[in-house]
Amino acid sequence: MKIRTSLPIVFTVPTMVVLAILAFVPTIDAINIALQNRELSNPDSVYVGFANFRALVDDPRFLNSVWVSIEWEILTVVATMAVAVPLAVLLFEATSPTVRNALCVLFIVPALLPRVSAAFVWRFAFHPLFGLAVYPLRLITGHPVDLLADPHTAMLAVAIVDVWQWGLLFSVVIVKLLETLPPQPLEAARLDHARTWEVYAYVALPMLRGALISLVFVKMIESLRAFDLIYVMTRGGPGITTETLDMYAFSQGFIESGRISYASSMAVLMMIATTVAFTVLWRRVRRWQEV
Amino acid sequence: MRLRAALAAAAGGALVLAAGLAGTANAETVCSHDLRVLAQPRDGLTLLEKYKDEFKGLSGASFNIDYLNENDRRAKSRADASTVGKYNVYYIDEANVALFAKSNWVTPLLDYYPKDYDFADFDPGRQKVATFEDKVYFAPLTGGGDLLVYRKDLLEKAGVKVPTTLDEMIVAVQKLHDPDHGVYGIALRGQRGSGANVWRWMPYFRGFGGKWFDGDKPAFDGEPAVKATQTYLDLFKYSPPGTKTGSWDESTGAFLSGQVALLVESTPLSGEAIDPKVSKVVGKVGYSRPPSPLTGGGYAHGLAIGAKANKDDAAKKCAGLFIAWATSKENEKRRLDDGQFGELNRTSIMTSDEFNQKFGADLGQALADTAKVTAVNFWQDPEWPNLGDHWGIELEELITGTRTDIKGSLDELNTYAKGLVANRK
Repeated sequence: MKIRTSLPIVFTVPTMVVLAILAFVPTIDAINIALQNRELSNPDSVYVGFANFRALVDDPRFLNSVWVSIEWEILTVVATMAVAVPLAVLLFEATSPTVRNALCVLFIVPALLPRVSAAFVWRFAFHPLFGLAVYPLRLITGHPVDLLADPHTAMLAVAIVDVWQWGLLFSVVIVKLLETLPPQPLEAARLDHARTWEVYAYVALPMLRGALISLVFVKMIESLRAFDLIYVMTRGGPGITTETLDMYAFSQGFIESGRISYASSMAVLMMIATTVAFTVLWRRVRRWQEV
Repeated sequence: MRLRAALAAAAGGALVLAAGLAGTANAETVCSHDLRVLAQPRDGLTLLEKYKDEFKGLSGASFNIDYLNENDRRAKSRADASTVGKYNVYYIDEANVALFAKSNWVTPLLDYYPKDYDFADFDPGRQKVATFEDKVYFAPLTGGGDLLVYRKDLLEKAGVKVPTTLDEMIVAVQKLHDPDHGVYGIALRGQRGSGANVWRWMPYFRGFGGKWFDGDKPAFDGEPAVKATQTYLDLFKYSPPGTKTGSWDESTGAFLSGQVALLVESTPLSGEAIDPKVSKVVGKVGYSRPPSPLTGGGYAHGLAIGAKANKDDAAKKCAGLFIAWATSKENEKRRLDDGQFGELNRTSIMTSDEFNQKFGADLGQALADTAKVTAVNFWQDPEWPNLGDHWGIELEELITGTRTDIKGSLDELNTYAKGLVANRK
């Protein structure tokens, strides 16, 4: 096909160049630093090849943080969708349009709150002596419960905040999607004596399959960036039980030892791992959608 | 200079007047730009900001302070100083003065600290902390040691006398611990960090005879450290919920809200305890030196001249003048008048009659007693934050129960310390 106008080039090239610079310069810089032995307190550094990467394999804290990241990713994505979908169905099924709209506005509010503020609010809410959120637990068990200091519950407590922000927002998105569906297939199912849950499980939600999968992807990417939430609420603690990869990399780079190169090598590994994981997943999902 | 001043004066009538007024105080303009200061929140600094005009009159420029809480301030100042270096003045402390000095991120202070501001008046302990390899790097804004702070009413009710030894303290803590009535025996810090849990653990470690290093060899992996850790963990059974992952704010907060019988904490707590704005226990609090053999954790925070942002001598002079003014007798007097106990550093202020009137003779006596047992508990080395933070994480794991082997944890730290020293060579 012959291009009749140069407009596409005029419009896309500058944007692509800017994007390329923004994306590649820091990436290349990170890779470059990862191959050296730079430390904040020492201006001299030399290239050490893959020494940093080899050291990572023997670092139990790194291996722990990989595991914590995977746990965090699965926990928050599954929990967000598990809250959002039933809640959306409930809203769609059981409320009048006016009530529904009012609730939707209410559900968006948590997501509007900056993460750091949300984290602070909830940290106080989880305070064993003064916290509102743990008060019922205190009444039931008879003694103060410190969720954020208990290695078994700390991650769960942080995940609750994440789901509070994103699960509610997603339920609003899904309600709005349900409202756009044509009513005929749902009516047809009802005429065939399908029960309410069957109408949704076999008709409505499968019609939204593409949109729901997109939401899962959005949440997966979002969960990777939970640094601020974890930093404020637990700092990776107690011990290292909520120390995700980015938290550990920051800790190595700026809090504890200033080992910039070591931290960079983690960032590079994380970038490669997520790129590969997302590419594979994306392909899988597309194939599955085409069936 | 004079020519430029004349030109500027010719340019604007209003300016002439202002320059003339300022000129009477100081003929020369020391600063050409507003100063950028990175600090952590302090009542003293908030008060200082009310007198920006005074500094402007003195130097010809103003200043802006960016505040970050302690851990973030440490991380940010380290990142800034090692890269762009945009701050003229850094807030540094006992934990990172060695690192900042050794890396040449800050300039020795006394070359630029005007003589009339009398540096020698500062508390000698704090001067010692501000010194690295015989050079002074910062002028103190706060500092001190530890005090045993206790609830007089609770001790009296239980018939417990003020403990003077650690064994007595442990017995007292057990006796006073009554969580069903909302009173916990003691409050400790559990949160990771060389300035957090490790800071409160060190008096036990040093008190039992522990030592960080012997020359270049790590020397901490032994009986004193094990015993200190065991004692600290045992005491944690009597510390209020929230302190296992909490630090200064959580443990002093619990005390100030009336939920703790006694605790050993840094000296500023005694000032907060008598301030009705933050304390519910005003009038019920007593002070004494930490029970023996605990040493007091000597510390100091203060302002230092950034090396990168102040390229020439004139810029360094300007930063030096700011630091001198901020820590001057006049400004310290203002803090005293405002009742800011924790912000006082000068001997002349702390021994003044006004000080005694304001804070009581008890406190003066306790401070004098505790000065005798105040020591530098940490390892004075650029690598201290690194080693201290590493131990902080292990200690937090021990406190919260994800780790149980004390000796094994210390062995791990020992290996880590050897690596640090080997890396340096």
